[in-house]
Amino acid sequence: MHETTSTSVDLKPKDGGLLAQFKNPTALAAACEKVRDAGYKKWDAHSPFPIHGLDPSVGIRPTRLPWLIFGAGITGTSVAILLQWWTNAVNYTFSISGKPFFSLPANIPIAFELTVLFAALTAFFATLGRNGLPRLHHPLFNSERFLRATSDGFFIAISSDDPGYRPDSTRALLEAAGAEAVEHMEDDSQINAKLPRPLTIVLVTAFVLGFIPLGVIARARTNTSPKPRIHVVPDMDSQPMFKAQAAFSGFSGFADQRAMRQPVAGTVAMGDRHLDEHLTQGIVDGAFATTLPSEIPMTRSTLERGRQRFNIYCAPCHGEAGYGDGMVAQRAQALGSPKWVPPTNLHEPRLRSQPFGQMFNTITHGIRNMPAYGHAIPAKDRWAIAAYLGALQLSQNAPLSAVPQEQRAALK
Amino acid sequence: MTSTVYSDKEFDNTGADPTARAPLILGDLDIQGVTDVVAGIPEQPRTSKAWWIAFGISVSLAGMFGLLTAHLIYTGTGVWGNNIPVGWAWPIVNFVFWVGIGHAGTLISAILFLLRQRWRTSINRFAEAMTVFAVICALIFPGIHVGRIWLAYWMFPVPNQMEMWPNFRSPLLWDVFAVGTYGLVSTLFWFFGMIPDLATLRDRATGCIRKAIYGALALGWNGSARHWHRYERTYLILAALATPLVLSVHSVVSFDFAVAVLPGWHTTIFPPYFVAGAIFSGFAMVITLAVPARIIFGLEKLITLRHLENMAKVILTTGSMVGYAYGMEFFIAWYSGNATEGFTFKNRAFGPYAWAYWIMVSCNVIAPQLFWFKKIRSTPWLMLIVCIFVNIGMWFERFVITVTSLSRDFLPSAWGYYSPTLVDIGMLIGSFGIFFTLFLLFLRFVPVVAMAEVKAIMPEAHIHKSSHGEEPAHHA
Amino acid sequence: MNVDKMHLLEESVTELPPPLGGRVKAIGFGVGILGLASASVLGYLQEDHYTRFSFSYLIAWAFFLSITLGALFFVTLQHVTRAGWSVVVRRLAEGLSSQALLMALLSLPLIVPLAMGNHALFSWADHGAVEADHMLHHKAPYLNVGFFIARCVVYFVAWILMARFFFKNSLRQDGSKDPALTLRSERGSAPLMFVYAITVTFAAIDFLMSLEPHWFSTIFGVYFFAGCLVSFFATLILTGLWLNSQGVLRGAIHVEHYHDLGKLLFAFNFFWGYIAFSQFMLIWYANIPEETFWYLTRQEGGWITVALLLIFGHFIIPFVGLISRHAKRRTKILAFWAIWLLAMHWVDLFYLAAPALASRLKDGALAAGTLPLGLLDVACFVGVGGMYLAFFAVTMQKKRLVPWGDPRLNESLNFENA
Repeated sequence: MHETTSTSVDLKPKDGGLLAQFKNPTALAAACEKVRDAGYKKWDAHSPFPIHGLDPSVGIRPTRLPWLIFGAGITGTSVAILLQWWTNAVNYTFSISGKPFFSLPANIPIAFELTVLFAALTAFFATLGRNGLPRLHHPLFNSERFLRATSDGFFIAISSDDPGYRPDSTRALLEAAGAEAVEHMEDDSQINAKLPRPLTIVLVTAFVLGFIPLGVIARARTNTSPKPRIHVVPDMDSQPMFKAQAAFSGFSGFADQRAMRQPVAGTVAMGDRHLDEHLTQGIVDGAFATTLPSEIPMTRSTLERGRQRFNIYCAPCHGEAGYGDGMVAQRAQALGSPKWVPPTNLHEPRLRSQPFGQMFNTITHGIRNMPAYGHAIPAKDRWAIAAYLGALQLSQNAPLSAVPQEQRAALK
Repeated sequence: MTSTVYSDKEFDNTGADPTARAPLILGDLDIQGVTDVVAGIPEQPRTSKAWWIAFGISVSLAGMFGLLTAHLIYTGTGVWGNNIPVGWAWPIVNFVFWVGIGHAGTLISAILFLLRQRWRTSINRFAEAMTVFAVICALIFPGIHVGRIWLAYWMFPVPNQMEMWPNFRSPLLWDVFAVGTYGLVSTLFWFFGMIPDLATLRDRATGCIRKAIYGALALGWNGSARHWHRYERTYLILAALATPLVLSVHSVVSFDFAVAVLPGWHTTIFPPYFVAGAIFSGFAMVITLAVPARIIFGLEKLITLRHLENMAKVILTTGSMVGYAYGMEFFIAWYSGNATEGFTFKNRAFGPYAWAYWIMVSCNVIAPQLFWFKKIRSTPWLMLIVCIFVNIGMWFERFVITVTSLSRDFLPSAWGYYSPTLVDIGMLIGSFGIFFTLFLLFLRFVPVVAMAEVKAIMPEAHIHKSSHGEEPAHHA
Repeated sequence: MNVDKMHLLEESVTELPPPLGGRVKAIGFGVGILGLASASVLGYLQEDHYTRFSFSYLIAWAFFLSITLGALFFVTLQHVTRAGWSVVVRRLAEGLSSQALLMALLSLPLIVPLAMGNHALFSWADHGAVEADHMLHHKAPYLNVGFFIARCVVYFVAWILMARFFFKNSLRQDGSKDPALTLRSERGSAPLMFVYAITVTFAAIDFLMSLEPHWFSTIFGVYFFAGCLVSFFATLILTGLWLNSQGVLRGAIHVEHYHDLGKLLFAFNFFWGYIAFSQFMLIWYANIPEETFWYLTRQEGGWITVALLLIFGHFIIPFVGLISRHAKRRTKILAFWAIWLLAMHWVDLFYLAAPALASRLKDGALAAGTLPLGLLDVACFVGVGGMYLAFFAVTMQKKRLVPWGDPRLNESLNFENA
């Protein structure tokens, strides 16, 4: 121990203890019992394979690793259940074929897999850790004889750190226990414990160089660049296509610089023959119609139809009551997307005074961020929605006088 | 010392005499002899010509697989024959086939360990390696089937900028977890078992580089009794964990099919039936590999006829279980009174894919029944032939399940026919290239038999209690 | 290393002592006859053409049948695998498997009324129902009284002959110590395994699955088989421990054997859980009404309690309870779990069979979701169980309780869990 403070070149390997070789497992076990009974603590038996029944001779008590592994398994189960619950039932609810968001039968397979995974990883690393491995440098490895410990040699090694260790008496004990050969182990860990020089250089260089990519990433994250990003995988980010109000790039269009052909002169596309302006465009005498067209009677069934269509097409954004608080709007708000334009509250005075024809027109052609629904909803249904919308607006803003006399009491 | 002239008579330890256990390690091998035979293989100064030829072929096929994968990714999934309605087709067949192959390795290393089947020690390393390589081959197929493979990380619960999470209620995601866990745990188990043997190679190494590599891999193992104590306990626990794991993996694979309502896929026996089929095909693969390897590397004394015969019996058993499942499916298809279910099974046997069905039945149900004959199950080359047929049959089983059901759905207007493209076929062959490349590297550089475990079951390895004075009995 | 431990047997009692055997027989027959008699009286008092009686009796009978079939599998398996460790407990298993004959006799109260036109148990035996129901009509080529009885005959003949084959070989070996007899059993065991698999599967379909003839599940045979093994290992453990406590086979069946039987009990209970989960999961997930109705009726009212009891009581709690080495090596703890699992096995059979009862009774006689539990179940269980116990004692009397001449007996005595 006195050498640890010294830096002079006359370092010598110190005595690491004694190594004794035995003929076979039987001799080893007998010797182990003698060493154990002599009261040694820092010693061990070494063999090329596990010898059954040796543990009591060495004085090994059952390991408690199984409990640790069991705990890790339970942790794995809990983590799996929590993960599935939080991701699929809390953070990102998504209905798939009507299955409940959180459904234990469907969560059991992954819970099981993670139980095994956690337990197995713990078993592996805890065993290595408790065994003090990896440990590439050990006094035992200085012995030429000990090379046979992984082939067909049976050894007992008593460390010089053992309080009962005396070079002479310990050697005598081992010889009396039937050792075929006893030799000193050299503990050169004070001298050779350092990594070899070339390896050190490689490791240090790698460590330093490792910061370069990190630096590049950090720089890219904190700076803006005018250059377009590198498309490692182009996906469908840039497609050669006509873009309205943009200079042509990559797409030259037809010879006349148009992106599409014009219809043949004098033809009308299928379904594009709008003879009845009131019904198909909501216009009467050049202004938005204030009434429903004659094909759409203002009846209960029209309003029912309108409500149903409204709840399918409009409510996701505008909300079932029309206040602009549909599921999509709520989620966009929760995400805080800066590009999101909130849907209009349909009960604004501006909208309440709109004629039916204008509502119909907005549904048909869309407005601002709202897409056009003309292609998706037949004209009669669009009228039904407009009619329902009128009723909805009335329902949310009706004066008390509009309520029949006999029901007013219930509202108060 | 490693070259032994093979002779059937000399090594026949397949006798059934109930009064004595047949020896599992033959010849005059002592503890040092086992080390010499096994460690001698990676220590050969010169690699044999046969190895180089096999390796050359395997690497070329693996290279072909790489090129075809590049072609697939660059061009798109259309280079495969997958179509609508047969959207899963060949890739999932290959996936299930390879996962199944892997199962025998875990069965041998874990389940037979728990059942104290000592004959496993000679073949477990071998079979575990096979597991790891087969799982690698298996994972490639769903990996490249996702289309945009650079987004494959979406399969994992990694937080992303879209604030989306994977759908944990989908059996396909269960697969990711099941096969991923399986691959990882199998590798750990394999490596864990190998640590003492790597230490043996370290201590026998002469070259500096070998010493450094084996030394680093052996993690400083020194055979301490305290280490062995924890090691054995953990090995047992890993085996106990791997056993339900192996059941779960192929069960989850079967869920991919069985949770669907498609006739021919939705049947409750799928989980155990898939597991039995997996073990069946895996054992056939072990024999296919072991028969040539034991002759090439002179391992006849360690991987004896008895080992091969036992494996043949497992094949017979699991093959019959698979036959039982086929029968139950047919019976219940009728018993259920469900017209589409009934049609599906008639269609399998007599429809456009009847050829595949009858290949499956003859290879999977009929071929293994040959193992009732002692002569066949104790003659290596005959076993090899039967096992190759079993492998073919098990590949076709997955083909029949996937393709016949998808191509004949509830709606006749949605029916179709699937035929593979050259890319499909090339990738199947190429996956064998990957498998054999890895396997040949394993044979060349790693101890192929678990030396420490073999030694531990030898009579010399026991403490002989002299106080009773009995002679040590020779047992296995 | 095997040392000669035959002295362990020579020092121990290896036969059922006649006074003890006599007592068991007396109690068994007494309780059995009393139970069966009171069951038939209680059944008559129900005034439902013995419908309730038939269900209670079927559950009790299936319970003891499953122990017998588990034993039969165990014996066959030990020969197939040439197992050494289990030799000391094999004779007990052989004795249990020989009760196949008793189970055949005890099946008569189920089969004879069926043959005489009573369709209390099976709606497919009711001509009117078959004519009115397309599905039953479709299944009639399989589900009809004649074929059903023919199949039963085949099952029982197969089981009785199988059990006899192994038992006889083993008994003859007691005297002759002829290893060729072991070889004979081993040779026979592999093909007989096939016979076993097929008969048990179809017996499960016939006696339990066809109670609700519309329902079907390909895994059902395996499910019943898993239950057989759980109940058998529990019974074997309890039999061994009871014999030990009476001073029989003490030292021969020792803690190492119980440890192994405990592992098998644990493993097969896990297997049961795996099969039960697979069946439930696939039906739940696919959500097809032609299958889900079976589980739906088992979630109504009181049945959900039974279902949860099975999940926790049959699977999770014993799984945790039996996982540690300690639990399997302490005979008292092991005995506790064995009794527990036997009880759960009865609950399992009750869960399989009894929900069909409501539809077999007159409308409104049993409200949906009500558990049909009663004294009748107790009487049937005690009746069949008493007979089972008594016949087991009869089978084992004047015989060695270990396979005395088995060449691997010493290996088994030496057995230690590494």
